[in-house]
Amino acid sequence: MLPIADLAPSFFNAEHGSPAWWGKAVLTLLLSVVMFVILFNAPARARRPIVISATFLGGVIYVLQWLWPRAIARDPGTLPLNTTESVAFWLEDAIPVLGTISNTVSAFLLGLGVYSLLRIHTTRLVKRQADWMFSLVLLTCMLLMTGFGYADWISKQGPNGAALAVSQDTWTFVNYAKDLLFDGLLQNMDGAMFSIIAFYILSAAYRAFRIRSIEATILLAAALVVMLALMGAVDYEWSKGIASMTGGDKGSFLNNFSLSEIRMWIQNNVQNPSLRAIDFGIGIGALAMALRLWLSLEKGGHTA
Amino acid sequence: MLTAFGTLPFIDLTFGDQYRDTGWFGIVITLSLVAFLLYNILRSKKGKDLYIRRIGGLNAIDEAIGRATEMGRPVIMVPGLGGLNAISVQALNVFAHVTRTAAHFSTPIRLCCADAAVYTVAQEIIRDVYQSEGMGERYDQDSVRFISDRQFAFAAGVSGMVMREQAAATFFLGEFFAESLIFAETANAVGAIQVAGSTQNTQTPFFIAACDYVLIGDEYYAASAYLTREPVLVGSLIGQDWAKMLIGSLILVGVIGSTIQMGPFNAKILTEELKDGKLVPTKKPRPMNRKDTFMSHLLVPSLEKMIIDRPKDPNAGGGE
Repeated sequence: MLPIADLAPSFFNAEHGSPAWWGKAVLTLLLSVVMFVILFNAPARARRPIVISATFLGGVIYVLQWLWPRAIARDPGTLPLNTTESVAFWLEDAIPVLGTISNTVSAFLLGLGVYSLLRIHTTRLVKRQADWMFSLVLLTCMLLMTGFGYADWISKQGPNGAALAVSQDTWTFVNYAKDLLFDGLLQNMDGAMFSIIAFYILSAAYRAFRIRSIEATILLAAALVVMLALMGAVDYEWSKGIASMTGGDKGSFLNNFSLSEIRMWIQNNVQNPSLRAIDFGIGIGALAMALRLWLSLEKGGHTA
Repeated sequence: MLTAFGTLPFIDLTFGDQYRDTGWFGIVITLSLVAFLLYNILRSKKGKDLYIRRIGGLNAIDEAIGRATEMGRPVIMVPGLGGLNAISVQALNVFAHVTRTAAHFSTPIRLCCADAAVYTVAQEIIRDVYQSEGMGERYDQDSVRFISDRQFAFAAGVSGMVMREQAAATFFLGEFFAESLIFAETANAVGAIQVAGSTQNTQTPFFIAACDYVLIGDEYYAASAYLTREPVLVGSLIGQDWAKMLIGSLILVGVIGSTIQMGPFNAKILTEELKDGKLVPTKKPRPMNRKDTFMSHLLVPSLEKMIIDRPKDPNAGGGE
């Protein structure tokens, strides 16, 4: 049994094992089955209104929670003062419940993803299609990781569901195997893929930083200044040169031409405002998209 | 603000944490933006022909698919690493358009998903596209596949697919992180034509350096309106432009107002400052900075610490 966090009883929960808890769980299950049967047998022309209603109801809770006066300085285990606070408490308690429902659905969807992988690669393996050896490697790794990962997790569960602190002295074969597969292989392969980016940056920069136009030249110059400013040795030597010209006077105007100052000016006065402007556009675009999805106005490239 | 509104019949704003001090301003601005969007959506439904400027990356979609068809190589689409949210739904909208064109030419497609929810939705969308075009028999169930939800395992899987299948066109639209350059460079290595777009500003420069066409910023969200020219989507795009003008005006008013308020060369000296919703004397007189201005206070409410006596719940202590 997994460890369970203590929550104050609310509309959405009850004390574990109590009659109210069992009642709510059974009622929720029955409602889910009834809804499933209704949806399954709904006529085709009713499906769109059902989807639109479900989408709207799912989103309206988040909108209400944002708009409705939120309880000030709410402490756990307290009761609301008036009707407004009652609604605010209810909405605030509903959000984590919706999140849990969403996570539960996502967990089941992961099963669909795993099924897709198994189907594709098993078919390729059985029929000896092109690159079947890669499929064999994938399936072997998937089974090994799942098996040893689960066995390792089981070995660390205490009688009350809490995870045991297992020291390496008491490790068994499954613990070593999971450690080898995860920390020894997977983490290091992740690191190797990440390090490939360094070489790809070189090849991308070689193609991108060329004097083809005025914009490309400005890009090249700015990139050169920023990269040099981030190189400690170059920045140090440049600063020494500036210091020799200013005679060590920290208030001299020439200090503004140190590499780090130029870099900061490019970043603070050119780069950051541009990024913020792009962020404004993206934020408004996301708001518009979310509004269209919530109100079921979205008609993209596919049929509605 | 709160006393001006008083107590409405069923809503008591005095208990609204988000409405305290100047917190209402953000809500009013957001509701204004929503009003702009909805008004322009209604306006567009009246049949007004609204203009959208040319977006190169989206014009290149047909060119990319045509190239893939001529070369007999597949089109690979990647909706990013994010979960099922507005970003991935927008990516799938664009991929549905790509798939519709590819279906007409019998060009093979591959849609690689890193999230199981996106995979499920993508599968339904792509199948619907083929069926709506009357080409249900051309739909390959394995063309939409779930690769992995681990970032670099997904990157390795997609890169391997690009290399093995020698993709002729690749579309990278959605949430990308460090693996964006891996995708772009791998596709470049096989000579694929690339169209990319991400809402992550940190990845856009990598796409610009490595890809042929890039959708920057809100061009990403304009894609579905541009491709389909649906009145609702075009109206929403115009509403977004109005929203941007409002924000631009606010910035201009803020800059001018703050400059006037702070005085030339930060000359104003303060002896009192706003702290936790109350005016308190400063430790010593100091120059006014931008956080002391009216506009800064309007956007960043200064909240008084409050403790409210609420009765204890006698049943509190355990629940799940």
